[in-house]
Amino acid sequence: MSFGAAISLLLIAGGVFGAALVLTGARPGLARSRRLGLAGAAALAAAVALVIADLAGMGLLAGASEGAAPLLPLADWVDRAVDWLVTAYGDALRENISNPIVYAIGFFERFLYQSIAWPAMAVAFALFAYHASRKWTLALFVAVAFVLIWALQLWKPTMQTLSLISVSILVTALVGLPLGIAMGLSNRFRTAMMPVLDFMQTMPSFVYLIPVVMLFGLGTFSGVLATAVYAAPPLIRLTDLGLRLVDKEVMEAATAFGASRSQKLWRVQLPLALPNVMAGVNQSIMMALAMVVIASMIGVRGLGQEVFYGLQRQEPGTGFTAGLCIVLLAIVLDRITQAYGRRMQAHYQTGAY
Amino acid sequence: MTRTSLRLLAAGPVLALAVTLGAGAPAGAQSCEVASTIRMAGNDWQSSHFHNAVTQFILEKGYGCKTVSVPGTTQPLLNALARGDVDILMELWKANNVEIWAKMMKSGRVVETGGVSIQGAVQGWFVPRYVVAGNARRGIKATAPGLKSVSDMPKYKALFKDPEEPSKGRFYNCKLGWNCERVNSKKLVAYNLLGDYTNFQPGSGAALAAAIGSAFKRGKPIVFYYWGPTWVLGKYDVVMLKEPPFDKTKWDKLDKSKDGKGLEATAYPTIKVYVAANKKFAQKAPKIMAFLGKYAMKDDLVNKALVYMRENKDKTGRKAAMEFLKAHPAIWTKWVPADVAARVKAGL
Repeated sequence: MSFGAAISLLLIAGGVFGAALVLTGARPGLARSRRLGLAGAAALAAAVALVIADLAGMGLLAGASEGAAPLLPLADWVDRAVDWLVTAYGDALRENISNPIVYAIGFFERFLYQSIAWPAMAVAFALFAYHASRKWTLALFVAVAFVLIWALQLWKPTMQTLSLISVSILVTALVGLPLGIAMGLSNRFRTAMMPVLDFMQTMPSFVYLIPVVMLFGLGTFSGVLATAVYAAPPLIRLTDLGLRLVDKEVMEAATAFGASRSQKLWRVQLPLALPNVMAGVNQSIMMALAMVVIASMIGVRGLGQEVFYGLQRQEPGTGFTAGLCIVLLAIVLDRITQAYGRRMQAHYQTGAY
Repeated sequence: MTRTSLRLLAAGPVLALAVTLGAGAPAGAQSCEVASTIRMAGNDWQSSHFHNAVTQFILEKGYGCKTVSVPGTTQPLLNALARGDVDILMELWKANNVEIWAKMMKSGRVVETGGVSIQGAVQGWFVPRYVVAGNARRGIKATAPGLKSVSDMPKYKALFKDPEEPSKGRFYNCKLGWNCERVNSKKLVAYNLLGDYTNFQPGSGAALAAAIGSAFKRGKPIVFYYWGPTWVLGKYDVVMLKEPPFDKTKWDKLDKSKDGKGLEATAYPTIKVYVAANKKFAQKAPKIMAFLGKYAMKDDLVNKALVYMRENKDKTGRKAAMEFLKAHPAIWTKWVPADVAARVKAGL
């Protein structure tokens, strides 16, 4: 028997021993020595059974085996489910859901880079920044960033990316806010949602990209879907957190004044949670920008495609300039949303509400 | 005597002689020409995995070498081959990387081994056969019976409607940044198709294959660039759209131009895919180079291996490689000396 197999045997027998001890402990009146004896016998029996099974070729004491068909054919089930979905609903999903949305996004995208002159866009964003922060320095920075993007000849892909980010964040907010609020209000819903959020954040996006592409086709719709799945968790989590961080005494006061449940939610909890919600929006935008390059692998146009192109062609310059534009876009959106968040905080803390 | 050499003795007197002549050294104790692990360029497509697996198996069992496949994409791996970060490139698509390869050869840091990993690789623009001829069994009617060549494409643009720009058809181009993507983009200009079709870049090969697979499952039209040997061309019944016959002068002009404006385009040449190596590695390992130089495989064998890999979920190509080595000894034993072949056979 190999060293590894011996250790495996010891670990399993030890586990059986422990489990037997715990189980026998549940029955009162059993002497300690008797419990130890029972557990020892169970461990020994397990060890003998394992060795026999191993000798019979079941490989329970062997390390990872390669090439054998899995006992749990989950991969085959997923394959078949995707196959069935594509053949049964692929056309309907495309015609009724993805194609109209794809057309709308395409229209919005062209509006951003074809219809609106770039200086107008730069001015609009500078005004936006000033409105959020009341600082002319930020407004100036935003304007300079947009001039830089234009000077790099990357205006069109930048606007395509901006359009993808905007639509993704809109979807994220429409889905994420209600979920976050529900989590903030119900402990049970929160417990159920936590693993879902973990799944969304940690499941590698490539895993769901291919089925999504087979169902909805290559391009913006699949890109928005993938981005929203990845970007939504921070918004949901921070909305939940914001609602839970509202001062208990404030809530008691509201109850004392006879506020109804919906009044408490809309007039007390949500306004006080807004800075946190805004932080969630900010985080979601940053996450969405991180997805831009991955989205380019399923045919989403924009800066991600330029970065990917630079990588594929070994043109560091192409990759760097496009990457720089992503950074600029990120800083602009980050500073503007943060400034709005701060203003909301100041607004509600001074009691101007 | 070891069990392996006993089996060899049983295999026949010739092999037995070889073992005896080997001064009694047990088979399998052959030491590799290079002490370090041999690094294979693991291009991100399946036939490259298959060729790597075949070569790695032969190098490991036959030559006693340690090998590893370094994953990457075309351009980074080409550079790695020149730098010596990768030793062997099993799939050099020379025709698609003419200038880069010429430059690298000039630098004297890479060599062509003379081996041919794919003897007739096709590239072109395809549509599913049911689009042109229909499919009675699946109940699909021919939607474009007159679609024979690229010049017929404008007539049928509504069939291939791009949801992002519904007034045009969507042409699914090659992987972003690959030379085929650039050539196709220029062809779209040269064939004057950009008014009727969008040049859609699917980004990755996986995404392109998913789009094609989805269209086939649903029995819907799609027009796309693809190349062989691949499992896609092995599995799906497709028709290649006709293009003006390949003409080297016209081709070179188009390949060198920036955007193909005002130029003529032609079909892709049917090309050979070569085995290349790093120069320093080649100098250190003349025996391995002799093997790589004799490496030769027809595209239908590769197609078969690729379908096998897909159907058996053989991601690394190792199983397909062993299948190939078991089924076609007549082919691969010509690549290596008899003693090496015997050790490989013993390892199967």
